[in-house]
Amino acid sequence: MKKVSIYKPSTVDEAIQILSQHGTSAAVYAGGTDLLIRLKNRLEQAPSYLVDIKKIDHLRYIKEDAQGGVEIGAATKLAELADSRLLQERYPMLVEAINKISSPELRNASTLGGDLLQEVWCQYLRGGYSCWRNGGYLCYGAIGDNSYYHSAMGGRLCYAVYPGDAATALIPFDARAKLATPQGVKELSIEQLVPGDLMVDGRIQSHVVRFNEILTSVVIPAPKPGVRASFEKLRPRGVWDFAMASLAISLQLRDKTIDDARVVFGGIAGRPWRETAVETFLKGKTLSAELGEQAHSVALVNAAPLKYNATKIDMAKGLLASGLARLNA
Amino acid sequence: MQRIAGLLIEPVGCLAEFPCAPFQEIARRLLGRRGKFSASGSGCYWHLLKLVDEFSPQPLAEALEIEAVNAASLYEDTVPALAELKAMGIHLSIASSLSDAATTRFLEKHSLGDFFTSVWNRNNSGGVKAVPLVRALSDASLQPENVVFLTDTVEGIKVARAAGVHPILMMNDPDEARRLAMHNPAGGVVSLHEIPDFIRLIAAQNKRG
Repeated sequence: MKKVSIYKPSTVDEAIQILSQHGTSAAVYAGGTDLLIRLKNRLEQAPSYLVDIKKIDHLRYIKEDAQGGVEIGAATKLAELADSRLLQERYPMLVEAINKISSPELRNASTLGGDLLQEVWCQYLRGGYSCWRNGGYLCYGAIGDNSYYHSAMGGRLCYAVYPGDAATALIPFDARAKLATPQGVKELSIEQLVPGDLMVDGRIQSHVVRFNEILTSVVIPAPKPGVRASFEKLRPRGVWDFAMASLAISLQLRDKTIDDARVVFGGIAGRPWRETAVETFLKGKTLSAELGEQAHSVALVNAAPLKYNATKIDMAKGLLASGLARLNA
Repeated sequence: MQRIAGLLIEPVGCLAEFPCAPFQEIARRLLGRRGKFSASGSGCYWHLLKLVDEFSPQPLAEALEIEAVNAASLYEDTVPALAELKAMGIHLSIASSLSDAATTRFLEKHSLGDFFTSVWNRNNSGGVKAVPLVRALSDASLQPENVVFLTDTVEGIKVARAAGVHPILMMNDPDEARRLAMHNPAGGVVSLHEIPDFIRLIAAQNKRG
């Protein structure tokens, strides 16, 4: 493992100062379940300076806000989210999603911020291949084994899928992320936070957070009346794995009529894939047993699977049908 | 990799999908070679180039090449990618071992002529393989280390190296690309539309130092 230096700032401003000083060779360290593994795997892209934010106050909390929503500190553990009575009552679908992330042991260490901003889990990157995200100029996933962790919806240099489940589950609630930056607080929707492979500070990454910015919290608006939501996830193994495909769906219902819909697939693209074509299709429809079959036909028509992962699209469409059936039950 | 200022392009396999048959026919008639070289038109074309240093008699090869050009289908992202690269100020040159007639026909057929600052082929460069690349470089006063050559064959990688430019793999066929990746190309893209991002990334990395 390469030698690293660890800073332990006590305020967000101090942390930003340190990050600014070291540029892209520094990174925020909280749960460590992604970052430390990158270091252990000796990835060239792994940072040399860790800015440990665990001792910073006001980054680890779950609280109700004045508008009836909930604000969650970015350093809050996933296990704390899963155990939160407030979240279980307000956003049971989010809790369901969190409980399907990784293993109980890892949920005790991982943070919400870490899950949102984690590096991709492509086996080539993690195996130290010199790919786009690791100092090279080629995506080995695009030409190698892409059955599990690569995009079936096209790509942009890197074809790894965005691995986080929390973002997929937060988008249907129109959640927003707050970032601390040298210029002040920046607020983004979760879709804006993780728009997929893009160049930031001369690196390919899935999120827009710059080297000297820190995700501080996520704000979930108050639940809308009549909303039913569901999260489902298919994994190569029954537990403790990333999604082959997942679905977070929410319907705002008036009796059985769908007034509004959010449909977000995970595990199939370089970002949480919001399927607006299905959302538009669902609006105004009556929730029924047949709706899943009908929605199936309009979903993911622009899929561009790689050689070995077309099955992800079938899985995602299957989840859509089962998700709608679940909400109709 | 240093800043990328120029892109040299062989149309076969990089801008369009060419058929195999005309190139196999050239090999059969000129060299008495039978059998299929490769499943792809580009593979056949480069294999043919590996076998010959010159095409002669020219009229026969030209006629078959034009047949190949007429049957070639342009990749759907070719025009938007070239437009974006041109807008970025990247020097674009055709550096091809095809004949003058075939390159002209190809550019006219697909209305691509305006994208390219220069067009070098085996007639006006005086040779095949690396010769058109070297002429394109000297004509535009480009430093080879600032130039990439797109290719989807081993021969193409070797030709780029011979000219001193960076070979960038067009990963048209994943199985073939996996094999070619072992020949250490400077990089690889799944599709032409990724080239502008590739160039931007190199620029950003150089800026970052």
